[in-house]
Amino acid sequence: MKNTDLIKLPFSKNNPILVQVLGVCSCLAVTAQLKPAVVMAISVTVVVALANVIVSLLRNTIPPRIRIIVQLVVVSTLVVLVDQVLKAYMYDVSKQLSVFVGLIITNCIVMGRLEAFAMVQKPWPSLLDGIGNGLGYSVILIALGFLRELFGSGTLWGYPVMEKLGLYGIGYENNGLMIMPPMALILVGLIIWAHRSKNKDLIEQ
Amino acid sequence: MAKKNFSNSYIFIYSAALVVVAALILTVVSVSLKPAQEKNQRAETKQMILKTIGVESTRDNADQLYAQNIQEADLKGEPYFTFKGGVIIPLRGTGLWGPIWGYLAFDDGGTVVGSIFDHKGETPGLGGEIATDKFAQRFVGKKMCKEPIHLKKNADKDNPYEVDAISGGTMTSNGVTAMLAAAYEKYSDVIPCHDPALMMEDKKQ
Repeated sequence: MKNTDLIKLPFSKNNPILVQVLGVCSCLAVTAQLKPAVVMAISVTVVVALANVIVSLLRNTIPPRIRIIVQLVVVSTLVVLVDQVLKAYMYDVSKQLSVFVGLIITNCIVMGRLEAFAMVQKPWPSLLDGIGNGLGYSVILIALGFLRELFGSGTLWGYPVMEKLGLYGIGYENNGLMIMPPMALILVGLIIWAHRSKNKDLIEQ
Repeated sequence: MAKKNFSNSYIFIYSAALVVVAALILTVVSVSLKPAQEKNQRAETKQMILKTIGVESTRDNADQLYAQNIQEADLKGEPYFTFKGGVIIPLRGTGLWGPIWGYLAFDDGGTVVGSIFDHKGETPGLGGEIATDKFAQRFVGKKMCKEPIHLKKNADKDNPYEVDAISGGTMTSNGVTAMLAAAYEKYSDVIPCHDPALMMEDKKQ
């Protein structure tokens, strides 16, 4: 695989959420609003990239029987480290992230990429793979956050879009279902449907 | 993936070394960042208290503004605060996932002039909404004269003891109601109550 593909493919043909169907859990939990979705997207990208590099460097020393535990230790250490640094130097960002920091450890994309890629590849491609998958995850997360906040709360990044457009005056109402996790799942389903009808080769026989 | 065979003793030594290294990194980081983190937390508490009386502060000037505007007091060992023209009581309670807290400022007449809430890990976009200005604003003009304020679905705007609850955040809203009740229990002696209409009612009873 070419290095540029490592960055490009996760955006469409190998998107972690749409095609690998990884990281769906956090994608339902954090997309009720745009801001946490963006913050989560950035954090996951950073953690996947760093964890990929570290595990790739260690890959020849890791005994296969305990590899998952080793990966978990690496990821948790990174996440706690990031959390501590944010709390000390970027307190406001750390407040924004709050519960999501813990969620990063359980994000299937991190473990998935470590298992599938970093364990068998050199550090440089691993870094690119981590960044690519992080960004592929980010695109979907931000799209969901955008749709759910706009139609669920009538705001974007906290700015009252619908109110400024004067839609409430003519009988428009926010869709309460949009801010519930089930709607995120339905939206992901719709995006996967649209994505597969465009990329027919992804459809299973 | 791995063609090598790793002996049991290698696996033991490897995993022990890995956790020791991880623990060492985290301990060093945690100890060295602690002063900065605690400074942020103290400044944040002061900023929250200042915000209830409409004083906007940054983390840098919070100390100074706090000293100018707020006096600390206590009622039978329970801390509260006074400012020129009223009192501020602290609120402590539990939400759905963890601790929630806040401050409620009353003017001399017993009317809420400002409030602020925060949480450790309520669901963002749902219960987490208690930390927004929009939610805090709902308390302005309410009273805690004869009974604590409680949160309610479709609250009556003219009832000084009812505040609109958060849609999708019922468990957190219940936590806020319980927190307000507990604070009323503790601080009813210092919450001003000079509403003529209510005092008349009291006399009748």
